[in-house]
Amino acid sequence: MAPPPIVQQKSSSPSQPSGYVFFLPSLSVLLLNRKPLRFLIPSYCLSRKSEVSDLKLQLRQLAGSRAPGADDSKRDLFKRVISYMTVGIDVSAAFSEMVMCSATSDIVLKKMCYLYVGNYARCHPDLALLTINFLQKDCRDVDPMIRGLALRSLCSLRVPNLVEYLVSPLSSGLEDGSPYVRMVAVLGVLKLYHISATTCFDSDFPASLKNLMLTDSDAQVVANCLFVLQEIWNLEANKSEEANRERETLLSKQTIYYLLNRIKEFNEWAQCLILELISKYIPSDSNDIFDIMNLLEDRLQHANGAVVLATIKVFLHLTMSMTDVHQQVYERLKAPLLTLVGSGSSEQSYAVLSHLHLLVMRAPMLFSSDYKHFYCQFSDPSYIKKLKLEMLTAIANESNTYEIVTELCEYAGNVDVPIARESIRAVGKIALQQYDVNAIVDRLLQFLEMEKDYVTAETLVLVKDLLRKYPQWSHDCIAVVGNISSKNVQEPKAKAALIWMLGEYSKDMPDAPYILENLIENWDDENAAEVRLHLLTAAMKCFLKRPPETQKALGAALAAGVADSHQDVHDRALLYYRLLQYDVSVAERVVNPPKQAVSVFADLQSSEVKDRIFDEFNTLSVVYQKPSYMFTDKEHRGPFEFSEEIGNLSLDQESMDNAPRFDESDKDLLLSTSEREENGGPSINGAATPGYSAPHDYNSSLVPLSSQTQSEPAVTSRTSFAIDDLLGLSMLAAPAPPSLKLNSKAALDPGTFQRKWGQLGVSISQEIPISPQGVGSLTTPQALIRHMQANSIHCIASGGQSPNFKFFLFAQKDDGSASFFLVECIVNTSSAKAQVKVKADDASASEAFFALFQSALSKFGM
Amino acid sequence: MPVAASAIYFLNLRGDVLINRLYRDDVGGNMVDAFRIHIMQTKELGTCPVRQIGGCSFLYMRISNVYIVIVVSSNANVACAFKFVAEAVVLFKSYFGGAFDEDAIRNNFVLIYELLDEIMDFGYPQNLSPEILKLYITQEGVRSPFSSKHSDKPVPNATLQVTGAVGWRREGLLYKKNEVFLDIVESVNLLMSSKGSVLRCDVSGKILMKCFLSGMPDLKLGLNDKIGLEKESQLKSRPIKSGKTIELDDVTFHQCVNLTRFNSEKTVSFVPPDGEFELMKYRITEGVNLPFRVLPTIKELGRTRMEVNVKVKSVFGAKMFALGVVVKVPVPKQTAKTSFQVTSGRAKYNASIDCLVWKIKKFPGQTESTMSAEVELISTMVEKKSWTRPPIQMEFQVPMFTASGLRVRFLKVWEKSGYNTVEWVRYITKAGSYEIRC
Repeated sequence: MAPPPIVQQKSSSPSQPSGYVFFLPSLSVLLLNRKPLRFLIPSYCLSRKSEVSDLKLQLRQLAGSRAPGADDSKRDLFKRVISYMTVGIDVSAAFSEMVMCSATSDIVLKKMCYLYVGNYARCHPDLALLTINFLQKDCRDVDPMIRGLALRSLCSLRVPNLVEYLVSPLSSGLEDGSPYVRMVAVLGVLKLYHISATTCFDSDFPASLKNLMLTDSDAQVVANCLFVLQEIWNLEANKSEEANRERETLLSKQTIYYLLNRIKEFNEWAQCLILELISKYIPSDSNDIFDIMNLLEDRLQHANGAVVLATIKVFLHLTMSMTDVHQQVYERLKAPLLTLVGSGSSEQSYAVLSHLHLLVMRAPMLFSSDYKHFYCQFSDPSYIKKLKLEMLTAIANESNTYEIVTELCEYAGNVDVPIARESIRAVGKIALQQYDVNAIVDRLLQFLEMEKDYVTAETLVLVKDLLRKYPQWSHDCIAVVGNISSKNVQEPKAKAALIWMLGEYSKDMPDAPYILENLIENWDDENAAEVRLHLLTAAMKCFLKRPPETQKALGAALAAGVADSHQDVHDRALLYYRLLQYDVSVAERVVNPPKQAVSVFADLQSSEVKDRIFDEFNTLSVVYQKPSYMFTDKEHRGPFEFSEEIGNLSLDQESMDNAPRFDESDKDLLLSTSEREENGGPSINGAATPGYSAPHDYNSSLVPLSSQTQSEPAVTSRTSFAIDDLLGLSMLAAPAPPSLKLNSKAALDPGTFQRKWGQLGVSISQEIPISPQGVGSLTTPQALIRHMQANSIHCIASGGQSPNFKFFLFAQKDDGSASFFLVECIVNTSSAKAQVKVKADDASASEAFFALFQSALSKFGM
Repeated sequence: MPVAASAIYFLNLRGDVLINRLYRDDVGGNMVDAFRIHIMQTKELGTCPVRQIGGCSFLYMRISNVYIVIVVSSNANVACAFKFVAEAVVLFKSYFGGAFDEDAIRNNFVLIYELLDEIMDFGYPQNLSPEILKLYITQEGVRSPFSSKHSDKPVPNATLQVTGAVGWRREGLLYKKNEVFLDIVESVNLLMSSKGSVLRCDVSGKILMKCFLSGMPDLKLGLNDKIGLEKESQLKSRPIKSGKTIELDDVTFHQCVNLTRFNSEKTVSFVPPDGEFELMKYRITEGVNLPFRVLPTIKELGRTRMEVNVKVKSVFGAKMFALGVVVKVPVPKQTAKTSFQVTSGRAKYNASIDCLVWKIKKFPGQTESTMSAEVELISTMVEKKSWTRPPIQMEFQVPMFTASGLRVRFLKVWEKSGYNTVEWVRYITKAGSYEIRC
């Protein structure tokens, strides 16, 4: 039933007396929780300990009791067990007692027992075996309720070696007379598939599900069949042609029409599923399209927003090729979408608004008259306000700009500063996309008079952009900008904008040179390189226009710039200096060329990406505003996230020790990439790598050695290492040619890799130095990947930025045995070291492989 | 892919786990920690209800003092997930009566586990209808121990009904007195500019029903909405009767309403679920009757004094009255002292929300009431910055009034046994977000 709770319980060593077993692991569990103090009040724990053994005792007494009222006391006890379980206290010690008590006719008791069993079965496979018997018996109960529950729990045990017991209850479950049992059995097949795909196919379950889907009288059974078949075929589609074909048949006209005709029988959630399927259907002709749309139109009035959105997706996707109809569809969808935005919690309206946002961005024209719907309520949460502001910006056109800008100006004084900033930016964006900007410029200039730091800052940046597009406004703007005291502008972006304007329009601003001079005097207080760069350029521009007044300031700026510690600032100062030395007129041409007004500012997202998001309508992609491969595919996620998952799996393997310790993989997950980079060094070099289990003394002996022989490739294996060290053998000797041959065309898919990584134990884990040449070549992960590939070692995932890179590599033995080697390699270029972990199908060959790997790595960059 | 939730967690505000239910193995075990550290303990909380951490997406919702978090690893359907949570909360509430908060969860955790098992299997939503689930999850909430004797009654064909075609109604119901209660509840949203012009105004209404009817009755509801009336006059080929007709911008119905018949005949006909449910929701933007006009004048007299004058006019029928009227006038943070004069009700300064709160218990129609207040501010040393005035907010309830003007024209009940029914209709208009800028 339930899988293990939040933290993985560690199986306790059998040698400990059973009375204490449950306690130690639970302590470590609490420590893992990272908020230990809350639970770790000693007295509380101590009393817990006795309570659990007390529970055990009481359960045992009740087990055989047939006395009246026994069930009630059992219920109380079971409740206590479950509540401990929820909090994360390990009560698995009472497993056998719980199973003994499960022989009851009380259905609530049974459910609690199933929940308990499901929770602990995976960590105690041997104990899980005890439950098989009574679960199988319950699967044959007279009451369909109990049959269903038992079958569900049986499938949720998730113990691979108990799979054989699943097949027969599942097959009879699929043919059960009660729809409840069939419904449970269908999802049971999916659970079985995830434990053991081969068993699932061998028993021919997918075929029976397909049959059931097309014939069963109960809608929920049909829906569950569809859930399961979709998931199985989607996962299998890359592996086999047949699966791909099966997936296609789900989208055949026959199946689609069958489901469409029954759609009203399904509950709202199943309707969402079916609508999602239909949206992928490719209609044969336009009649087909109109038939489907007519049939589904009433779904737009469904009370469940999810159904409405799913219907909208169908409509949009069906009419993609018919431009005029597509537009009508937009018109038709507007009303239900706007209603959905206003109903339900703000989270729900956020989900809907994200979709509306997508549509508005695709066709702003169609929504231009509905702008009032996007006005922000004072009480709207900021995530909603932000979307609304973006939509208001997009739909602004000649007819509504005045109202929209007036409204946006209201928000500029908002209490919520980020939103206030956002709305000023929105005004600016509207100004940049309109032709008649008269009124807007006035508004913007009024912002400058509000005398709020952030308002001024945002506005300055906007005025700068505006001037780049509409130089004709310079006169009005400059008059106002000139009045701003640079002391009131602190934000780098705004300061840079102000300085840019001072330089660009120094002719029209009488005191521009003096303001610049003032700023240059405070050069050292200026932290942002961006501002210093702009200051240099502005001084140059100003000098070229008004040489006598600026000469002194420019000199000071160049001197300060050349002495600057920032590379770019230094370089730019030097460039200007030399330009001036060479020829002032050339400098003029470089620094002050005649400028063309910018007509269009670049769009941030390519249209291809936008189309992909649109294809994935009604999913997370729309909310994140990026296509799904960017957040679900491992390669596109951050570099450390892949390792975190593998780390988790390997931890399960290795954490047989009971000692409380912090879950490092946990830490990995919790640190963002940037934080990770800061303390990446120690965690990568030290013993803190996820799942790394080498003893400390071993590790420390390694550090001095590798620092001595930093530049030489070390050729060692675990055994010879210490001897080499003792004898002070030179590590310069070229690695001996290894006898092992690798398959140059080895292939492994990420899923299998991950599974294998989880299953196998670490056979070698070592830190090896990298040659300076290697470090020099490792500017991007790709360089190393190509190099290793030439050595028949392939990369499956990589990531990172200098100085930390992480690679997951694999290789296959070239003797037809299909034995794989898996490698995790973390390279730190600043310390010139690589942390290598090898796992192998054939552990005996791993030493040879490691030697090979090392020799390959040592040649990198040569 | 629809929801395919990997796990669902209930956390209290401190981040303690109240309920955890893992449906799939595809996420790590420390998801709660990730949520706690990356979302709950940062400023991120409340900036966005959908967040991605380490390849998993967290969809979370706060309901009273509980966070419900759904963790997914695939590209899930967000709207569906949030709707699922919202529906699940409705279900839990119907089980333990009213409140859904930390205490209620702690007291009913076994029941919640039981329900979580039924409403979602392997991450896919199953049946969430309280009417059906109550047939076979008989464990009563702890709130009403004495009602447990009903649950002992065997429900012979419960499991047949579990997935039946009329999923929302059980056969064989019997009531001595057949009654239908119908409530039209509207909330008015208003955004008025400081100059008194309406920037945005709409009404979102819902029709709530409570049915105590025997057998399988067929109900038909007639409203004074434009589409329905036009259709009717077409069918009966007689002109529309004079009187106001309402144009509904958009309507959504409970799943029991026969939508095909609504589309062809424009009548709302349905077989109702037993007990309470929401029949339909609608939205109106044109021709809204605002129940209150608010005329604020706020003067800042120098640095340390403010004069607030708010006049509220009720513009609904003289025989009606509004209840629980609250006007909140925001004042600056550095407010030190306030004094009030009101023509009705009571006013006081609430420092925790920085507002002058003026409450009037009963406000008759076609009258007006004023509050004038003097606010003294602590003079601050910092440079004087203009104070951005948040809008005045208003709360109220007006019984027997609909801002949209919507009325029930008829409600017909038809059942094959032909019993008589008593129908009750009520109207009420509440303030949604009623904001007046000043």
